[in-house]
Amino acid sequence: MKRLLSSLIVLFLMVCFVFILLRISPGDPSLKFVSPELNPVLAQKVKDSFGLNRPIPEQFVQFISNIFSGNFGVSYDFRKPVTEVISNHLPFTIIFSLISFIIQLSVSYFLAIWSIKKMNGFVDRLLSKTSLVFYALPSFVIGVFLIFIFSEKLHLLPASGLSSYDVDSLSAGERYADYLLHMILPVITLSLGGIAVFYKYLRDNLDEIFNKMFILNLSAFGLSPKEITKKHVIPNAISPLISVAGVELGVLFSGALITEVIFGLPGMGRLTVNAILSRDYPLVVGCTFMSGLLIIICNLIADLLKAKIDKRLIRGMLN
Amino acid sequence: MNQKYTLFFVILIFVLVLPSCNRNQHEKNDRIVVAIVADAQSLNPLFAFSFQEVNISELLYLSLVQHEWNDSADDVRSYPMAAKEWKWNNDSTSVTVNLRNDINWRDGYKLTSEDVVFSFDLYSDPDIQSRFFGTFNKFYLDKDQHIDLKKSFVINNPYSLVINFRPHSNPGLFDIDIPILPRHVFSKFNRKQFAQLEKGNDSVTCGPFYLYKWNPTQSIILRADEKSFLHKPATVKELIFKVIPDYNSRITQLKNGEIDLMENVRNDQLRELTAINKIKISAVKGREYDYAGWNNLDPAAFNNKKDSPNKLFSSAKVRIALTYAINREEILDEYLGNNGALAVGPVAPIFKDSYNYNLKPIPYNPEKAKELLAEDGWKDLNKDGIIEKNGAQFSFILNYAGGNPRREFAATIIKNNLKAIGINVQAEPMEPGVLMEKIFTHKLNAWLAGWTVPIPIDLKPYWFSDLIQAPFNLAGYKNPDVDKLLDKIDKSKAGNDKNILYRQFQDIIYQDNPVTFLYWIDNIVAHSDRIENFRITPLGSVHHCWNWSVKN
Repeated sequence: MKRLLSSLIVLFLMVCFVFILLRISPGDPSLKFVSPELNPVLAQKVKDSFGLNRPIPEQFVQFISNIFSGNFGVSYDFRKPVTEVISNHLPFTIIFSLISFIIQLSVSYFLAIWSIKKMNGFVDRLLSKTSLVFYALPSFVIGVFLIFIFSEKLHLLPASGLSSYDVDSLSAGERYADYLLHMILPVITLSLGGIAVFYKYLRDNLDEIFNKMFILNLSAFGLSPKEITKKHVIPNAISPLISVAGVELGVLFSGALITEVIFGLPGMGRLTVNAILSRDYPLVVGCTFMSGLLIIICNLIADLLKAKIDKRLIRGMLN
Repeated sequence: MNQKYTLFFVILIFVLVLPSCNRNQHEKNDRIVVAIVADAQSLNPLFAFSFQEVNISELLYLSLVQHEWNDSADDVRSYPMAAKEWKWNNDSTSVTVNLRNDINWRDGYKLTSEDVVFSFDLYSDPDIQSRFFGTFNKFYLDKDQHIDLKKSFVINNPYSLVINFRPHSNPGLFDIDIPILPRHVFSKFNRKQFAQLEKGNDSVTCGPFYLYKWNPTQSIILRADEKSFLHKPATVKELIFKVIPDYNSRITQLKNGEIDLMENVRNDQLRELTAINKIKISAVKGREYDYAGWNNLDPAAFNNKKDSPNKLFSSAKVRIALTYAINREEILDEYLGNNGALAVGPVAPIFKDSYNYNLKPIPYNPEKAKELLAEDGWKDLNKDGIIEKNGAQFSFILNYAGGNPRREFAATIIKNNLKAIGINVQAEPMEPGVLMEKIFTHKLNAWLAGWTVPIPIDLKPYWFSDLIQAPFNLAGYKNPDVDKLLDKIDKSKAGNDKNILYRQFQDIIYQDNPVTFLYWIDNIVAHSDRIENFRITPLGSVHHCWNWSVKN
């Protein structure tokens, strides 16, 4: 409860900080309405209607009173309530991130186990080197490369978009296949870096645990290597990974800008960056709030999971 | 064992999914896909602010008149659209417009004079803040700039109305070119909340296309309205605007056949695209130019509400010297090749009648630049490599928007070229939003930016001395002779006299060089050979796309 309360205070302070930062940083949202084809009076009118001509403390008080009623205001660009704009983008981001996250965890888990079984062998060395390469490669390079191979050369997968234009006319099964097809390249692009990180982390943890004295003791007691790995090595090695995974999931929920841009996907990353570039203040605050909230939730879940694995942590959390 | 199951599962997914690829890759014969960089925020013509939004919304809503580019005269020709015909009175203060009686809204209602008057009412309503707000200066207005409907319009019958203008306001057909909105739909709503109501109401349209589906941030799907008088049996049935933010993805999808048309193709991609049989390249001479802006006013003084000249750039001789010193050809060759041209002023060569052919681009000549600077008193007296005058060094920061490779390259060339004549330039990129704000508030000394010349040509907002009347005179250029000419241009009717005034204007600008005009940029469009009757003009590539058909 205390943890939750402190998280909410952090969230509130973060949103207030972003609000103030936006108001004092250079840039003017009404400049979008300044062009040779538009009358300059319009920009002033729009600025007035945004309430940007009022003193910053007055805007801040209004903002605070609104935020407690769940009102983040109206997006300047979309001309719709911020909550509505975010709710249009958030479901995709959550599904996309979760799929990628599950793939990252499961693939890295199997690779790490495989690698540790073949420790110092060809597979282990190959996986270690390859994971470094994927970790170092920026996602835009991976994305463009995948598009080049699978879309341009092999004509197997679509290069961008969430679905085909005529997706509504398809049967449920075809529709599912259509979404899946469109998601293959983005999910791979988003996941490869994460797989490399989790693999490296887990493999090193496994290696470390295997070299602990208690493992030798357990072997001396006659436990089979399979039993030792399953009951003692993996739980011990996974525990620290959960914290990293919690942070990673929170970051994924904040949006995967590069992947979203390359594949033209409607996620939170693109929404947030566009809002920042066009100085859509209410939307930036709304996106920040949502990202912060998701990161806090993910960290809480990670803590609870860790506590489930290690009962001592529950006592620590309760104290 | 587990690994075997996993492998089996992965293979199964591929087996199930991949066979359906062919269906999705299939090119539909009655569909054209146009790539767009960003999704539209509104297709309601009231709030369609960007060039792209305007182009799409014009396909949904008809205007009284339509414009097309006249290649032979290199000018815009207006022709009837929702209006069947029009007739000006003797002193051009009113026009009688007879409407077509065969235009229906999608819900079956007829388009009438009431809709036209209602549309002008909406566009000029200060509560709505439409994109046309404040642009109806030639109409009778009330104190809020709202059109006085009683004075401005007389409805003769459902298909005929008279539009009255203020005396001596010199109106033209561009003044009545607004997309018409359905009165029976929009009159139901509270005008103060219009902007938020729009999305559900863009289904009642009257254009050659209607909005079939809008997948936010993905695609905008228009379908041909077969009841429209513009519809022909061969008209493309479905027009899709696909959002692809990444340039490389657009190129890949063009090569794949996933899209049929993309604009703003870079020069370095042309050779590769030209080699592909199914892709055609069309280019149109540009009305967009880049320039190096020299603030004629002192930024610090200006922001203290004082009007004092800039110590570095207030002299025309210095500005001309800077133009001599910059190797614009090098930037042009590197980035635009044959798809650009050196600029001499703010009137694009595409406006053949208005363009001043006597003016030749200032050549790259560092020696001449040094000579002019010396004449103005800028000399390297202390031999430190930087010229100075009255103890002040010629040193400044040149700002440009980060993320634009052409301007980044231009900034580097300019920095090096000016260094060679003893000017110390620091080229600094800036976030575009910040750069724009600082330029508009005259806080910068020098910057790189660009303009697109509006159609019809409108020079006053850019070059008139009064900065309130000329919000785009970002360099703070002031010349009473130019002001007189611009006033005369405003009062003149299109024709030879006006063109002479345009040429005189260019003469003065050439002599004063308020900024360094760098180069005109062509719009290069790559499109599939499936599109028939495609024609790109300075008005855009999808303009008149109801004339397109798809080659089978």
